[in-house]
Formats: sequence, C-alpha cells, structure tokens
Amino acid sequence: MEQAPRKTSFLQAARAVFWSFFGVRKRTDYDSDAVKLTLGQVIAAGLIGAALFIAVLLGVVYLVTHLAAK
Amino acid sequence: MEATHALDHGHDHGPTTGLMRWVKSTNHKDIGTMYLWFAFIMLFAGGCLALLIRAELFQPGLQIVQPEFFNQLTTLHGLIMVFGAIMPAFVGFANWQVPMMIGAPDMAFPRMNNWSFWLLPVAGGMLIASFFVPGGASAGGWTMYPPLFLQGGISNDMTIFAVHILGVSSIMGAINIVTTILNMRAPGMTLMKMPLFVWTWLITAYLLIAVMPVLAGAVTMLLTDRHFGTHFFNAAGGGDPVMFQHIFWFFGHPEVYIMILPAFGIVSQIIPAFARKPLFGYASMVYATASIAILSFIVWAHHMFTTGMPTSAQLFFMYATMLIAVPTGVKVFNWVATMWRGSMTFETPMLFAIGFVCLFTIGGFTGLVLAITPVDIQLQDTYYVVAHFHYVLVSGALYAIFAGVYFWLPKWTGHMYDEKLGKWHFWLSTIFFNILFFPMHFLGLAGMPRRIPDYALQFADFNAMATVGAFGFGLSQLILLVVVLKCIKGGEKAAGHTWEGAESLEWTHLSSPPPYHSFVIPPNVK
Repeated sequence: MEQAPRKTSFLQAARAVFWSFFGVRKRTDYDSDAVKLTLGQVIAAGLIGAALFIAVLLGVVYLVTHLAAK
Repeated sequence: MEATHALDHGHDHGPTTGLMRWVKSTNHKDIGTMYLWFAFIMLFAGGCLALLIRAELFQPGLQIVQPEFFNQLTTLHGLIMVFGAIMPAFVGFANWQVPMMIGAPDMAFPRMNNWSFWLLPVAGGMLIASFFVPGGASAGGWTMYPPLFLQGGISNDMTIFAVHILGVSSIMGAINIVTTILNMRAPGMTLMKMPLFVWTWLITAYLLIAVMPVLAGAVTMLLTDRHFGTHFFNAAGGGDPVMFQHIFWFFGHPEVYIMILPAFGIVSQIIPAFARKPLFGYASMVYATASIAILSFIVWAHHMFTTGMPTSAQLFFMYATMLIAVPTGVKVFNWVATMWRGSMTFETPMLFAIGFVCLFTIGGFTGLVLAITPVDIQLQDTYYVVAHFHYVLVSGALYAIFAGVYFWLPKWTGHMYDEKLGKWHFWLSTIFFNILFFPMHFLGLAGMPRRIPDYALQFADFNAMATVGAFGFGLSQLILLVVVLKCIKGGEKAAGHTWEGAESLEWTHLSSPPPYHSFVIPPNVK
C-alpha cells in the first residue's frame, strides 16, 4: 500500500527535473510538485537527470563521430 | 505582547557614530553599503585601466604605454572588474536586500559578514599595489595561465595571495547568504514565495561554495610550482600547463554565472514592478536558474577549444554549451512576456532593465556563435571574444547593477534620485557602450588579436571609434556618482512603497529609509 505513492512521487520528481532542464513548468503541475515532492527527491532526481543528460550528449557525440568515420 | 514590545525597544537604537561604525559594523545594511562603495571605487579603478588600454589603442603604433605595461593593464583590468567590482557589488545587494526581502532582522552570521567585507580592501589594495613592485603587476592575463604566470616577479605572488583572500571572502559571504535564506525566512515565506532575487542569490551562493575552492586549489598549485619545486603545470618537470586551464575554467565558467544569475534576479524584480504585472512564469524562472547553474559545470572546455582536445570532447562541449541557451532563452521570453500588455512606465531602473534584456541577448547570441567549435577556432583570442564577454558583463551584469541601484536607492537613502540625471546616465551609457563594443565584433571577425598594444592599419578606424566610445562610457559613469551623492545628501522624500508595482517585503512593510534594525519582529507573510 505504501509503495504506490512513493513510485508516483519518483516519477513526478523525474518529470519535474526534466521540465526544469528545459526551464518551463505548467502551473498546475508545479502546484502539485510543491505539495508532493520532498527536497531529497528533487536533488536525487536532479543528479540522476544530470548524469542522464551527460550520457545522452556522449551518445550523440559517439554517433556523430562514428557516422563521420564511415 | 509585552515581551515583544520590550524586544522591539531593546533593539531600537541607531548606529554608533564615526569611523568605528563602519570598521566594527555587524549590521547588514552598513556592510551592504560598504560592499557597494568598495565595488564602485574598484569600478572606477578598473575603468581607468581600461581607458589607458583604449587610449593606447586609439591609433596604431605605440604612443602612450610600453607593451609590458599594456599587458599589466589588461590583466589587472580583468581581475579588478571581476573580483573587485562585479562580485562585491552583487554581494552588497545581497546584504542590503536579502534580509529585508525574506523578513529577517539581519544576516545569519553578522560578525563573519564584517570579516568577509574587510578582507576585500586588503585584497583590492594588494592588487593595485602590485603595479608598484619591481617588474610591475601581473601581466599574464586575468586567467593566470602558466607557463607565463610561473615566470613573473613578486606581483604574481601578490595576485595569488589576493585571489586566495577574495576566495575566502566569497565563501564566507556565500555561507552567510545560504544560511540566512534557509533558516531566517519570516513565517509564511516559503521557498517558492521568495522574491526571485533571493532565489538567484541562493543558487549563486551554492555555485560560489562549489567553485571558489577549485580556484584556490589551482592558484595554490601555481604557488607551489613557483616556490616549492612542484611541477603541476611545468612541462619540463613532467607537468601539464593545459591541466591548469581545465581546472581554472572548471571554476571560470560557473564564475560567469555567478556574475550573471544575481543580475537575472535584479531584473526579475524590476520588470514586474514597472510593467505592473506579476513575473510571468515565476516557477519556470526558478527552474531555469537551477538548470543554468547545473549546466554551467559541464561546459568549461569551450574556453579552450584551441588548446588541444579530442574531436569527441570538442563536440560534447559544443553541444552542452549550445543547450545552455535553452533555459537562458526561457528567461528572456519570460521577461518579455511579463512586459507584454503591462502598464509600463520607463523610469531609470526600467530603462536599464530593458537595456539589459536587449544587450545581454546580443551577448548571449555571440556566445552561441563562439560555442561552435570550428568558428571558435577562428575567433579564439580575437576582439570578437572581447565584444562577446563585454556585452555579457557590462550590458549584462553592470547594467543590472545600475538598474538595482536606481531601483533601491530611494529605499536605501530615503530620497528620490534625480530622474533626469538617471535618464541621461542610461542613454549616454547605452549609446557610448555600443560605440565602444559593437565595432569590436568587426575587428574580431577581421582577425584583430586581443591583448596586443599595436595593430595593423586596416583596424585603425574601428579602434578609434571604440576609444571614443570608451571615454564617453567612462565619463558617463560620473553621472551615477553625482546621482548617488545627491541622493544621500537629500532631495525629495521617498515613500515607503516607492514603486507601486513592487511587491516584496522591503516595499510593503518598511519605511524609506528602513530602520537601522528592521524586522526585529518578523512579519507574517500570506
């Protein structure tokens, strides 16, 4: 029973961080973030998000350099 | 009730008089004032160095200074403006404004606040004094790159020491600001109700705590290379000078955001006040600021595309740098959307804020141009780069400082500033600023290198134009000095709520000037 809300909040933290990297957040979503998310969740999601962002960039670089090599 | 009454009276005293008021002050307003005056003095000191540079560059050939001294001028101009003018000015704003905006009585650590200010004149004095030691001041550029920096005289040690002291001051200031914001907000002032200026300073303070030790480490390694036989950056001993550049710019790029995020905060207070509308997308502004801060840690090597790195690294840093434009663009759109259909008036703070939005955007765009690796390899160390970062730091950071000074002067002094002089200051600054820096784009595209006192004949006209702009811009700043002095001396009385569109606590709850000890009893924020 206790697992469900935690899962939702983690997804919500991930969504909030995704939108913050873009720099935009819908008012209704933001209001629900403010109520449901804890600082720890946001920081954890932010660190994971930053690592993913770097990984995606490295992936793009890998693709570009390997396509150029062909 | 009686207890609070007694508490109120217990703290209802003014400042002590005389010099000791300033030496021993633990009051955030006094310390803020000292920070701002220090920054203003250093602005004029750094400005005089810039005018000497421009005077030499008025014509081709060497007329006024020798090349060695020219290098000292460019180095100290950079160091003084970055560490002596822009950063202390923003800390001055933080000292004055943060406690009043969150409903706190003072900063969290008032004695540490005094100490972090009084370190500054020592470091600033040491930088200026280094001109007078044998060999003259540091001449290797504000970035202190080895091997040049390993070779200079005692002035390089003075610069290292000054940078250490400035770093300690910044870290103490940042800890103070973070603690104040997180622990001393009035009841009801939740994080997401804080004025955006407070948010930008909270994020900036974290950036400072993260990167100032990196700079301290880099200059300590320079020091041990110079005097204690290490070879961190000395290729002859197995070291790597390029490693210094990586460490320096790991500090240096977040440093750029340390100088611009508080500017975003000031502009985000002013535009809603004069558009008489709430800031468009407050939450997205907070998120965008946080994103910019995080991204600022993964773009550093765009400063060193030409020093040698694998293609994959060049691509990574190019993509990351270009992506940082997204949250920055969100901010610009939010400011424009705030103004859209607002009841706008154009008092001096608003003029400088709009000037900021327009001119900073030009600086941002040229930054995007420089982010493209092959273009940067062409433009590295040309005047295009000089034009780019002056559009970011002068019409960006400095314009926001001017805007903030005009905005809060009535609050700080209790008197209205001279609006007519303020407008003169804005228009003359803006016209001369563009005459000064816009031609530098053309000079850079045509290949004129920076940090060189002489140049080929084809660059003469644009250089002459830039020098005229420089003297015009420099002299225009004297208007601000007159405005500030007039405002301190007297003038029309300012109302507590000077700008009816401004909604933060210092306007709605405090008189102008505010009491020496404000918010002894915290306000209730709804």
